Amino acid sequence: MPSLSLRGVEQRFPGLETPALAIPALDIASGEQVAVTGPSGSGKTTLINILTGLEGAGQGAVDWGGTDLARLSEGARDRWRAANVGLVMQDFHLFPGLSALENVLLPQRLAHLQLPDGARAEALRLLARVGITRIDQPVETMSRGQMQRVAVARALAARPGIIVADEPTASLDADSGARVAALLVELAREAGATLIVASHDARLVGRLDRALRLDSGRLKD
Amino acid sequence: MLRFIASDLRRHWAGVLAIVLIVALATALGVAVTLQERALRLGSARAADAFDLVVGAPGSETQLVLSAVFLQAAPLPLLPGSVLAGLVADPRVAWAAPVGFGDFIDSYPIVGTTPALLDGMGGLAEGNVFARLGDAVIGSMVGMRLGDHFHPQHGRVGGPGGTHAEITYRIVGRLAPTGTAWDRAVLVPIETVWLAHHHDEPEVAVAGASNPFLHKEDEPHAGESPLDMPLQADSVADPTAPGVPAIVVKPKTIADAYKLRQQYRSDHSLAVFPGEVLTRLYATLGDVRTILSIVAAGAQGLVGAAILLVVTVHVVQRRRQIGALRALGAPRFAVFAIVWGEVLLIAGTGLILGFGLGYVAARALSSAFTSASGFALPVAFAAGDLVRLGVLLGVTALVASLPALLAYRQSPASALRS
Repeated sequence: MPSLSLRGVEQRFPGLETPALAIPALDIASGEQVAVTGPSGSGKTTLINILTGLEGAGQGAVDWGGTDLARLSEGARDRWRAANVGLVMQDFHLFPGLSALENVLLPQRLAHLQLPDGARAEALRLLARVGITRIDQPVETMSRGQMQRVAVARALAARPGIIVADEPTASLDADSGARVAALLVELAREAGATLIVASHDARLVGRLDRALRLDSGRLKD
Repeated sequence: MLRFIASDLRRHWAGVLAIVLIVALATALGVAVTLQERALRLGSARAADAFDLVVGAPGSETQLVLSAVFLQAAPLPLLPGSVLAGLVADPRVAWAAPVGFGDFIDSYPIVGTTPALLDGMGGLAEGNVFARLGDAVIGSMVGMRLGDHFHPQHGRVGGPGGTHAEITYRIVGRLAPTGTAWDRAVLVPIETVWLAHHHDEPEVAVAGASNPFLHKEDEPHAGESPLDMPLQADSVADPTAPGVPAIVVKPKTIADAYKLRQQYRSDHSLAVFPGEVLTRLYATLGDVRTILSIVAAGAQGLVGAAILLVVTVHVVQRRRQIGALRALGAPRFAVFAIVWGEVLLIAGTGLILGFGLGYVAARALSSAFTSASGFALPVAFAAGDLVRLGVLLGVTALVASLPALLAYRQSPASALRS
């Protein structure tokens, strides 16, 4: 499982004087579970995007287990992310019209000509693990808590080394949120994957090994 | 990927159906125009096949062909009887038959001619040619039967005129189908048509008989009706016989055909090859078709532009979904392929459906035309049509790549942010 070694990253948006993100150094160990906290606009989403390769870092190095994302083209970053990162987002981003099982398998179907061997079995196992029994149910008929649990299963389906969650419980009620938080932490631990969670949720943050505090694009210790 | 496309199309089924129908209708317009014009050309060319050379009085060549070949009623000037007599006796002529226009029975035109034309048009399917003045042979689409009797009517049904109740024709034969207007004609001996036209002139006698068309109720009927009199071939070969508007000539050889045409193009007569006249008509028809095709192509272009707009707006509206797909690991190429595939599937279905609809519409138009005029309009696809379909699909594929490219270039981070 890859560990992170980030150096000298600065992200500027056109028209703004101060950089949205300025981090001289950040290290995350393999298998470590880290929270990223901070007020809105503090640069949490920008940091997440750079760590996952959704955005290209303007300068510096973003080294995951020997692969420097800052040196890769957009297409290469996409490929790296498909192979290495499982993503859980605040708004679930499941695809209506497809069943729970189809949603879990969708990223792999789109990234490969044929589903890899064992992908379906793993998807079924994960759905059972997150407590979704009606796997052929179209996702738009599910509750929000159920949807986010399907999203968690989707994030783990390809057995990625890095799991990233951007406000995973912000759209859920307290009970569903607690359930999802527990699943996220447990499943990441079971897989030995590095977990990075950007969240306001104090209970979720409390379950993780470490909390990074961002303020105006800078890490505060 | 196909599963994703299928679920997408299913979710937006109303919009998809609307686009498919619009594309289909616009395409059907262009296809129907092409098919119908081709059918008109083929049908009329076949109709002219039986008529090698047509001779008429000086006037319009087009009108002569339209009347003699297509039985379009028109007042044509008459050729003197000597012309027919001369042609019948000409050694270069295999046969020559007059075409005279008489009355109607229901909506079927009554055409006066000689038995030679019946054979020249493909012969009889059943019955016999006329042997008596009162015999009639009907075309294959005429709704009467052998043995029926009828009275000729001056005008068409619904028009002015009266019925010659004193004249009774008897149907003795039916022509084999020709696929032309002649299928709806009733053929009678030319002599009776002459008599009908001279119904106010008691001194005109034909075939040695008195005129049965005369309106003379007080004249005692002789024992034998004039209509029972047998046909005499020399009544037609008589140079003093009444005039006819057109003569159909079958020359013995091609060289004879040209010589005859040369000879009868004079101040006193007109001679045409119907095929040549039709070719000139097709030139005009071709211009009409070009204009209609341009209009239809314009309609298709407009439809295409409208659909492109709709799809582009749709892609922009789904930015977040597309961004999510990319974030989850879908390569840019997969996003391109999904958008491109959906557009091609929808537009392609519309195009193929349009070809089918255009064909059905052309067939419907043709059969409506045929039942009204007897004229067969064969509707058929040609190799060029397949090429056109291929080109249209190719253009669609090209155009579909525009919104697909738009989706390809969207940055997932900003898309998710929106």
